[in-house]
Amino acid sequence: MKTQTLSGLRRWEERLAWLFVAPVALGILIFQVYPTVFSLYISLTEWNLVRAPRWVGIGNYVELFTRDRYFFKILGNTATYAVGTVLPGIVVSILFALLLNQKIALRFTYRAIYFVPVVAPTVALGLLWQWIYEPNFGILNSVLKFIGIQGPAWLGSTQWAMRAMIIFSIWRNLGFGIVMFLSGLQNISPEYYEAAAIDGANAVHRLFRITLPLLSPVTFFVLVTDTIGALQVFDAPYILTRGGPANATQTAVMYLYAKAFQMQHMGLASAVAYILFVGIMCLTILNFGLGKRWVYYESQ
Amino acid sequence: MSERVSRRAFLGLMGAGMAGAALAACAPKAPQATQPPAEATKPAEEAPTQAPEAPAAAKIIFSSYTWSGYEAAMRGLIEDFMAANPTIEVEGQFVPEDYYTKLQTQIAGGTPPDVGIADYGRVVSYAKSGVLLAIGDLVATSNFPIGDMIEGAVAQYRWADGDFDTGAQGGELWGLPSDAQGQIFAYNKTMFDEAGVGYPTDDWTWDDLVAAGKAITNPDANRWGFLVPHWGMQVRGYFVWQAGGEWVSPDFKTQKLDMPETAEAWKWVWDLIYTHKVAPPPGLQAATNPFMSGQVAMTIDGVWWVADFANITDFEWDLALLPKHPKTGKRTTSVESDGWWIFKATKEVEASWMLMSHLANKDGQRKFGELNYVIPSCFPEVGEEWYTQKPPDNRKKALDNLVQDSRKAYITHFEVWTILGQCMPPIDAALTDGTPIEPAIQEAAQIMQDELDKAWELYNQT
Repeated sequence: MKTQTLSGLRRWEERLAWLFVAPVALGILIFQVYPTVFSLYISLTEWNLVRAPRWVGIGNYVELFTRDRYFFKILGNTATYAVGTVLPGIVVSILFALLLNQKIALRFTYRAIYFVPVVAPTVALGLLWQWIYEPNFGILNSVLKFIGIQGPAWLGSTQWAMRAMIIFSIWRNLGFGIVMFLSGLQNISPEYYEAAAIDGANAVHRLFRITLPLLSPVTFFVLVTDTIGALQVFDAPYILTRGGPANATQTAVMYLYAKAFQMQHMGLASAVAYILFVGIMCLTILNFGLGKRWVYYESQ
Repeated sequence: MSERVSRRAFLGLMGAGMAGAALAACAPKAPQATQPPAEATKPAEEAPTQAPEAPAAAKIIFSSYTWSGYEAAMRGLIEDFMAANPTIEVEGQFVPEDYYTKLQTQIAGGTPPDVGIADYGRVVSYAKSGVLLAIGDLVATSNFPIGDMIEGAVAQYRWADGDFDTGAQGGELWGLPSDAQGQIFAYNKTMFDEAGVGYPTDDWTWDDLVAAGKAITNPDANRWGFLVPHWGMQVRGYFVWQAGGEWVSPDFKTQKLDMPETAEAWKWVWDLIYTHKVAPPPGLQAATNPFMSGQVAMTIDGVWWVADFANITDFEWDLALLPKHPKTGKRTTSVESDGWWIFKATKEVEASWMLMSHLANKDGQRKFGELNYVIPSCFPEVGEEWYTQKPPDNRKKALDNLVQDSRKAYITHFEVWTILGQCMPPIDAALTDGTPIEPAIQEAAQIMQDELDKAWELYNQT
């Protein structure tokens, strides 16, 4: 049988193509594939970074699910944070995007202002909000006191710390949501609204029958990305509360960090990472499955 | 014969090659077996320090955490060292955040520094894992004046194979302390004067503290008598010891959180907030240091705060001995000592020891004292120089307390942060929210026992 061969020129072209691809491929292999596989291996060991890893099989997973007192609480905290930030965040972002989509004076300035927290360092924002939440002299409790309400110890109370963190995160991410929804709003053809107006649709009808359905692809995108981001949250609790008080704001990635770098249990930390990975993957698949029921693509 | 270039084969080869290279590069280096403990180092107290002969040419890496002007101070000391030892070059690595994360990554990668700042809480783990160089022989042969140091500070760097904690008499030496730091009892003289309360005396007890606190506290004005120590200070152990309690049994097999004296100490802390109401609940504490901001009149915290308190201009303040427990009469403070250690992987043992002894000896400690970045009391006579400075007028009270009644900080044993991380949240919640402390202590005691058992299991397996 005659073997099909490449001409010298084509071989050269193919090798050249691989050469061009190599930097990216190497980067992915070294910085993504290898750490991913290695951390899976580490999750099956006991390792404190200074000793050689010791194989424990699924012991770390068993430990987390059966012996660790705080693991389910921390998963619950993470879920609370995700639910508390993602859905309200989407609603608030849509409201602000609708307002900023109006032909009002200085609307470009407002858009820029709302986007500032997205590009500002979280550390700086966290410190700012620590002062806003300061129980004695903070602006929030001062305003509440002015109207006759005794404000809580926002970050120092097990009841309020998570709520305070959620409020901070919604505020911080608002600009990103606004930009996304604004771009979605501006892609909606004015003809739909003109036709609706001729048919006698009022503003509420136009919002629920035209705007929101046509925004659904953007809403879906924001829902998926924000959910993934919320389940991986680290910076907000790290800066605002360090996971306290009494683990009230400890999230999965914070716990992972504490296990790895404060307690030197890299195996348990890697197991937390894999459990979180599986959880996020399942939720994302679920989101895509449910998305088919409510996301409307104009091209379809 | 022409060859077909298969994408699959190419990718396969490339992937295998890269994975192999990456594995080789990143796989953790298995440490060598821990050195058997040497004989106890007998300090040659009378003999002058014998400077080892400088190597022909050596380059070593010194790594440390850093804050504020600490790096500049350290670099100054290193420059002095290099000027005195021109054949030795020292590269300083200063890490402002998460120093130990970086250090552990370096160790895992097989590239630790030669000399590093030491953490008394990691001595057991590191020495047991075989990454530290035992320095007993180096100390002995160079006549380093270790006998002049406060033994409680040195004890944090002694560990014998098989021990769960540091401090063993006869244990090998795995580092040298750079300081010996205890707690201070600071009070705001201006707030005392305004409330018409007499200043704390050497005879003060816990009850006197409460009485003064009640006279000073005015919640409506956000003025409070005392600041309940934060989580990080609570676990040093001092107020539990003052009450006659313990954290764990001497063999580290049994928790002692539910010991009546220990429980009484925790209850007293809780009472300060919720029964006597002389301390602000943790959630209402000012974001900046509540003592410095004038929110509280008295505080017990680490002696390292003295340098910051010296900047106070809004009120007068001073130090006193820690109030005694009314029954035991104890005013125990904990001693903790950061220090320096040498990593076993160093190829320059002599140069590393020369740098370490330069930093740790009396002249080095005196220099640190002048720079005000380390409280150099591991040599009492050098510490005396620092503690007799002002402000405040009675700075020396902190040293007196240390010399009179002190114990090695609790937070030095194997897996201590894992154990505390698991058992402290119930107590933390009770102190934060004002829920009853007794069931929280019982819960914490149960957790601590479980965690101690797990820690021993791990200890024996590794």
